[in-house]
Amino acid sequence: MSPTEVTDRLAELRADFDRSFAEPARRHDAEHAELLAVHAGGRPYALRLAQAAGVHSDRPVTPLPGPQPALLGVAGFSGAIVPVYDLAALLGHPVPERPRWLVLAAGSPPLALAFHELDGHVRVSAAVIVGEPDGHDGRDVLRGMVPLPGGTRPIVDLPAARAVVHRLTGHTQDAFEER
Amino acid sequence: MSQDPLRYFRVEARELVDQISAGVLDLDQQPGTELVARLLRFAHTLKGAARVVRQQDIADRAHQFEEVLVPHRTDEGPLPADEMRELLRLNDEIEAYVARLEPAAAAAQVAAAEAAAATAVAASDPPELGPESKPEPKPEPPPAPKPAQNPAPKPVAKKEEPAARATTTDVDDLLDAVGEAHARFAPLRTGSTALDRLHRSAESLAYQLRVGRTPGQAEAARSAAVRLAGELGMLGRRLTDTVEQVERELDEVRGRAERLRLVAASSIFTALHRAVRDAADAQGKRIRFEGRGGDLRMDPQVLALANGALLHVVRNAVVHGIEDDEGRAAAGKPAEGHVVVEIQRRGRYAAFLCTDDGRGFDLAAVRRTAEARGLLMPGGTEPDQQTLVDLVLRGGISTSPTVTEVAGRGIGLDVARDVADQLGGDVGVRTEAGGGTTIELVLPLALLSLHGLVVEAAGTVATVPLDSVRTCVRLLPEQATAAAVTGKMAHDGEAVPFLPLARALYAGTTVPEGGGPGVAVIVEADGESVAVGVDRLAGTSTLVLRPLPALAPAAAVIGGVSMDLDGNPRLVLDAQGLVAETARLGHGGAAPLEAARRLPILVVDDSLTTRMLERSILESAGYEVDLAASGEEGLEKARARQYGLYLTDIDMPGIDGFTFVAETRADPELAGVPAILVSSRASAEDRARGAAAGASAYVVKGEFNQEELLAHIRRLVPS
Repeated sequence: MSPTEVTDRLAELRADFDRSFAEPARRHDAEHAELLAVHAGGRPYALRLAQAAGVHSDRPVTPLPGPQPALLGVAGFSGAIVPVYDLAALLGHPVPERPRWLVLAAGSPPLALAFHELDGHVRVSAAVIVGEPDGHDGRDVLRGMVPLPGGTRPIVDLPAARAVVHRLTGHTQDAFEER
Repeated sequence: MSQDPLRYFRVEARELVDQISAGVLDLDQQPGTELVARLLRFAHTLKGAARVVRQQDIADRAHQFEEVLVPHRTDEGPLPADEMRELLRLNDEIEAYVARLEPAAAAAQVAAAEAAAATAVAASDPPELGPESKPEPKPEPPPAPKPAQNPAPKPVAKKEEPAARATTTDVDDLLDAVGEAHARFAPLRTGSTALDRLHRSAESLAYQLRVGRTPGQAEAARSAAVRLAGELGMLGRRLTDTVEQVERELDEVRGRAERLRLVAASSIFTALHRAVRDAADAQGKRIRFEGRGGDLRMDPQVLALANGALLHVVRNAVVHGIEDDEGRAAAGKPAEGHVVVEIQRRGRYAAFLCTDDGRGFDLAAVRRTAEARGLLMPGGTEPDQQTLVDLVLRGGISTSPTVTEVAGRGIGLDVARDVADQLGGDVGVRTEAGGGTTIELVLPLALLSLHGLVVEAAGTVATVPLDSVRTCVRLLPEQATAAAVTGKMAHDGEAVPFLPLARALYAGTTVPEGGGPGVAVIVEADGESVAVGVDRLAGTSTLVLRPLPALAPAAAVIGGVSMDLDGNPRLVLDAQGLVAETARLGHGGAAPLEAARRLPILVVDDSLTTRMLERSILESAGYEVDLAASGEEGLEKARARQYGLYLTDIDMPGIDGFTFVAETRADPELAGVPAILVSSRASAEDRARGAAAGASAYVVKGEFNQEELLAHIRRLVPS
């Protein structure tokens, strides 16, 4: 190899290397969804990770006597006090067992939802998610479905769940409006 | 920064200025040689310190201050008014000079406009809870540019933000607590020596077991093993005890450290006193100021806002409330007026009360203006006093100059109302023609330092504010049982209502098995006492009370939460709430009669929100509730179980509410179960249609009223 050839080859390699950074990342977030497969109240669901601010297990929850049966209590997260709601109760099928897992919903005010089991973390193509919500119980909170190994799971929409909690606690004015 | 020669002087000067400011006002009110001597001492110290750091302006004024006071060293009588004014003027000048030494004040002077803007932003910031989101303390308003002929700076407006300045005792307490926590570690240190020894014993035991063949050796190894196990157990117990103690001490350290960022309420008294004094001087009135309840420590932010409002309120009390000399003489009142600012803690609120013994509101004038502006019907029914006071507070006429003049309270009340609105508090007025006025500003406390009594009930740890605890009484098992059954216990010769804490904490759910109350904590609020039954007492602690988060509604017994050492929330009980809960349960907290076993209620609604809301209402009223998301599901459930009542929506896909009611009426098995329709439809036609279908009641969602719904249900579902 002549010195010129080496120089050319080097320039070529360098250009390739640089181009790989300049190009937009292909088929990444836009076409995929990160999901958590969970069980709440004995039923399988999926959560969109993008809507969560964190997932924690076995966090002590201090029970709070009050008017909301779905409110399990409050938990401390790095100095902040966060209300914890039972996801199964919000979905209308509470069970006596106390859930172990907490997902912090993104947004404010602080809010955590508790579920019983974490089945896993999956990344699916956005195309396989069925967009239309089903019509059965809990349709206020469920938005879409996703086929996963072991069966199709309804997707819990965390912003919608947050909206339900806001209405339950009178955080907005439309607490008892017909939709 | 370490080269800053003024670093220590600033701190010392600030403290001396505070003491001089308070002392001068005291001297004005209660002259005496002792106070003169004290003021001389402060001024002298300040003069000396100022000279050392070459602050000649301050030293000169401290010297002049001394000059005024020296002739009165042995003089018990009051100072002449002009000398008093001179002292106050010098005090203000010194204060202004000292304030200018603050780096922040210098910056503020440079960027006066920016500072003003920042102040406006800080004032309009929503009061977010929690220390993290706290806006920066407002910069002090910059002193006005000084006129050339006057060498002294204009007095800086009295500082609006009492800084979280630690007092020496607070720091000492904290250091004591740190020392105590440190001392608790000693057993851990000796523990590691013990551990070494045990480790060696274990090794020698292992050796014995390896080499030992004879029965004698085996016996020796066995007894060594027993000894080792015993010592290990002892060490374990000691470690557990030590860790518990260290944790308790660290908890105390944390509480005391958090307390340092709170400010004693009394820090606003000097500024208020001065405002009263200046206004009185300008009006030619004699007024005594008194501050009460200054020990309460609270968030500097809340205190600053309260201070801003109270400055207006006390000025108004002096200018418009307190009569002039002739007026007071004519009313048969002492010549000296009286203004009291009192600060009280009420659960998670602080109440600031400003009381004057002046002439009271001119409610007749308020009424005339309200009538003139069409807010009240002339010649209508006589409005009561509260209506008129509300007009001043909320009716929008407070801003009208006419009423501001006649009622004379407009601006101060406006500011107080704005502060209250901003923080979610409240303003109240009590006034009596000729008898004086009390303005009450109640503000929620984001953070509040408390001493608490830690109690345990049925596995839950909670804290009772120590200031509401009268005493604790040990309960024998039979006394506890008697108290739980009757809802009362004898204490101090009277019957006190008894509330087992576990019942209040597990309202609506089953109380886990526990030992039952072993101690009654006698809690007092608003003059009423309740005996709160707890399993055991677990010591006292210093804690910082935080409000409950926005989405966590709680029973009235909960006053807020504090953080324990692991960062987990711990419940803090509210004395008022405990009294109210006991009253609500009636006959104390006596166990409800088991006979009240009611049939469950079926809620049929396609909206999850409505279902959950209705369920929470019904469950908190003690009903068992089943849910159905459609008319079809409702019918299916109605046939599967015996219910006491159906509560159904009208507009649902599939079978609607009218049909659901009609179908259940047509079924002989179900016809006896009453049905209530709950709908957003409010027309008479729909009501008639509901009645025709056989519904027993019709509740409109828009006018939804929890009590009304429960009243219907109680009527229809006899217990």
